[in-house]
Amino acid sequence: MSPTDAQRAAPLLEIESLRYRYGQRLAVDGATFAIARGELFGLLGPNGAGKSTTLRCIAGLIEPDAGSMRFAGAPFTPATSGADRARIGAVPQEIALYGELTARENLDFFGELHGLSGAPLAAAIDAGLALAGLADRANDRVKSFSGGMKRRLNLAVGNLHAPELLLLDEPTAGVDPQSRNHLFESLLALRAAGRTLLYTTHYMEEAQRLCDRIAIIDAGKLLAIGTASELAAQAGLPGADLEAVFLRLTGRSLRDA
Amino acid sequence: MSTLTTALAMARKDLRLYFRDRTGMALGFLLPIVLVVIFGFVMKVVNGGDSGPSRATLWVVDQDGSEASRAFVAALRSAETLRVRPAADEPAVDEARMRRDLADGELHHALLLPAGFGATVAKRELPELRMLRDPDRTLEQQLIAIGMMQAAIAALGPDFAEAFTTRMLERAGLPKEWRERTTALARGFAGGVRRLFEEKEAQASAKAPAAGSAEGVSVAAEPASPSLDPADFLGQLVPVVNEEFRPPERPRQLTFMLSHSVSGIGVMMLMFGLMACATQLIREREEGVLPRLLGAPSERAALLWGKYLFALLIGALQLALLFAVGGFVFEVDFLRDPVAFLVASFVILLAITSFGMLIAAWARTSKQAEGLSTLLILVMSAVGGAWFPLQAFDPPAAVQVAMRCTLTDWAIRTYQALFWHGHGLRDGDVQTNLAVLLGFTVAATVAARALFERRYVRAA
Ligand SMILES: Nc1ncnc2c1ncn2[C@@H]1O[C@H](COP(=O)(O)OP(=O)(O)O)[C@@H](O)[C@H]1O
Ligand SMILES: [Mg+2]
Repeated sequence: MSPTDAQRAAPLLEIESLRYRYGQRLAVDGATFAIARGELFGLLGPNGAGKSTTLRCIAGLIEPDAGSMRFAGAPFTPATSGADRARIGAVPQEIALYGELTARENLDFFGELHGLSGAPLAAAIDAGLALAGLADRANDRVKSFSGGMKRRLNLAVGNLHAPELLLLDEPTAGVDPQSRNHLFESLLALRAAGRTLLYTTHYMEEAQRLCDRIAIIDAGKLLAIGTASELAAQAGLPGADLEAVFLRLTGRSLRDA
Repeated sequence: MSTLTTALAMARKDLRLYFRDRTGMALGFLLPIVLVVIFGFVMKVVNGGDSGPSRATLWVVDQDGSEASRAFVAALRSAETLRVRPAADEPAVDEARMRRDLADGELHHALLLPAGFGATVAKRELPELRMLRDPDRTLEQQLIAIGMMQAAIAALGPDFAEAFTTRMLERAGLPKEWRERTTALARGFAGGVRRLFEEKEAQASAKAPAAGSAEGVSVAAEPASPSLDPADFLGQLVPVVNEEFRPPERPRQLTFMLSHSVSGIGVMMLMFGLMACATQLIREREEGVLPRLLGAPSERAALLWGKYLFALLIGALQLALLFAVGGFVFEVDFLRDPVAFLVASFVILLAITSFGMLIAAWARTSKQAEGLSTLLILVMSAVGGAWFPLQAFDPPAAVQVAMRCTLTDWAIRTYQALFWHGHGLRDGDVQTNLAVLLGFTVAATVAARALFERRYVRAA
C-alpha cells in the first residue's frame, strides 16, 4: 500500500491530545495522530521521548490522564475494556516470554490467553513459528535461544491472535544485523498481509526505510508527522534525510539525545 | 473472553512450568514427605520427652469428701504440671459424667479419689486411686505422673516417706526375700527424704526428691528392673488403678503425637509449597511477562485467579501425597471420614493459598516475598504448634491468643479434631475452625485482589 493510499483510507486508530504523567514527570504531552488501516506507522524519537508510554496507553496497560482514543471510528478504552484489548496485539520492548517453556508452548499459552483453542490455535501457532523462522526450533526451550531468536518469537507471540493493529516497541533494539533483517521482512510481510502496524524506534535509517509515515516525538511532544519526504519538506530541508530533519526540529542530533 | 478460560490457561501454564523444574518439584513434594516421616518417627519414639513448663488437664472427682481428700485435691491444684478441673470455683463433677466425656474423647484424664480415702490415710496406709484415662495421650501422662507425685508428697507429707520408699523399692523390682533389707533401706531412705523436706522448707526451691541423696542407694540400684519407666516409677508413689478409655473408632496406630506431627509438619510444608506457587506471580512481573499477561482481553483479576487455581492444585497434590505416605508408613487411616477430610483439607488449602497470594500481591520483589513468607511461616509454625503440640496443653492465656492468631493453629486443630478426636463436620469445634479459616480466606483474598490491582495492574 502506497503512502497516499494509506492517507486516503479511513483511520484505524485516532489519538487525540493524549497526555500521561508518571507522578510529576510528563511523559506524553498532548500527542495527536491517526494511523490508517494497513499502514506501517513509525514513532521515532530518542530514549525517554515517550514512545513506550504512548504505546502502553494504546495497549491499555495504563490509562491516559487526558485525551481520547478511537479505534475504527468508535471510542477506544483498552485499559478498562477487554474487548478493546482483543483488537490489538502488543510486542513489549522487553522479551516477554517464558524461558523454561518451548517456543511452541509459549505460543500455545499466549494463544489460549487470547481465547484461541483447538484447530485455530494450532494454525496460529504454526503461522507464528513460520513468522519467527523458528519452525525447526519449535520444541526447544526459549532460554536456549539467541537474543535475535527471542525477539522474533516475541513478535510472533504479539501477532498470534491476528490483531487488527500490532504495536511494536523497539523490536529491533539490540538485535544482530541478521535477525534485524529478518524482523524487517516480518514487518513488511505483515503489512503486505493487510495488518496495521505501529512501531517505535530510535534508528532513523530504519524508520526511513520501512515506514509509510513517521511521527517524530521528543520530550513527550509530537514534533512532526508525515512521510520521510514530507517531514523533510516540513523542516524546510527538502530531500534531506531524517537525521537532518531531527536536528532541525529539535536542535540536536538524535544520537546524542 | 471469559475469566475462567484465562485462569485455566494460566494454571495450565504454571503446572507445566512447575513440573518442568525437577529440583523445585523434588523440594515441593519429596521434602515435605521426608520431613513428615522423620518428625512422625521422632515423635513416636520420643513421645514428648521434655515436657517443659506445660500443664496437663486433670479432672478430679472427690468421692470421699474428707479433709484428707480435700487436702489432696488442693495439693494437686498447686502441682506445677497440672491444671485441675473443675477449678476451685467450678461445680464438682461426678464419675458418670467423666466416663461419658472420656468415651466421647472430650477429656483425657479423670482421677477418682474413692470413698474411704480419708480413713485409709488416717491409718497411715497408702490409699488406692483410680484413674480413667485415654491411654494414647502419653505426653500428658508424664505431666500428670509428675504432678501426682508432687501432690502425694505435699499432701501426705513426711509421715508417708517410709511407705513411699518401700513402695518405690518394691516397684523397682527388689525381690520379696529382701523384705528385711528393703525395710531397713526404706528407713534410711525415709530419713533422707525427711531431711530433704526440711531442706526444701528452708530453701523453698528444691525440686523432686533425688534418690541419690539418701544412704544405701547403691544397694537398691543393682537389682532395679531394666524396663523401669522413671516417670511412671516416681509418679506412682500412690497406687493408681488405671482404667482405659479410647474414643470410638480411633485408628489404633495413631498416637496423638503422630497425627499431630503429620498434620503440623504437613501444614507447614504446604505453606512453603504454596508460597512458592504464589510468589511466581512476582517473578513473572520481574521477568517482564506481566505486560503481555495484562494485555489479555479478559478481566485482569483472572491472572490472580489462575494463580489461585494453580496453587490449589499443587497443594491438593501435596496433601494427598503427604497423607498417603504418612498413612502408609505409620499404618494410619487418615480417611476415616473421607468427606470431612476432603472438606477440611479444601478449606485449609484455600486459607493457605490466599495467605500466599496476599504476600505475593503485597511484596515488591521476590526477595521481599521469600523473606517475609519464610519468617511468617516459621513463626506461625512454632507459635501455632506445628513443631510441638502446644494445643495439647494449656499454655498461658497470652500464648493461647498468639496461637489463635496463626493459620497453623486453626489448621492443626481442624485436622486433630478429625484424626484424633474422631469428630466429623457436624462437630461444633470443627465448624468453628472451618468458619474461621474461610473468614480468613475471604479477607486475605479481598486484600490480595486490591493489592494486585495496585502492584500489578497499575504498575505495569
Ligand atoms: N514507570 C515509570 N515511572 C516514572 N517515570 C517513567 C516510567 N516509565 C517511563 N518514565 C519516564 O517517562 C519518560 C518517557 O519514557 P518512555 O515512554 O519509556 O520513553 P521511550 O520509550 O521513548 O524511551 C522518560 O522520562 C522516563 O524516564
Ligand atoms: Mg521505550
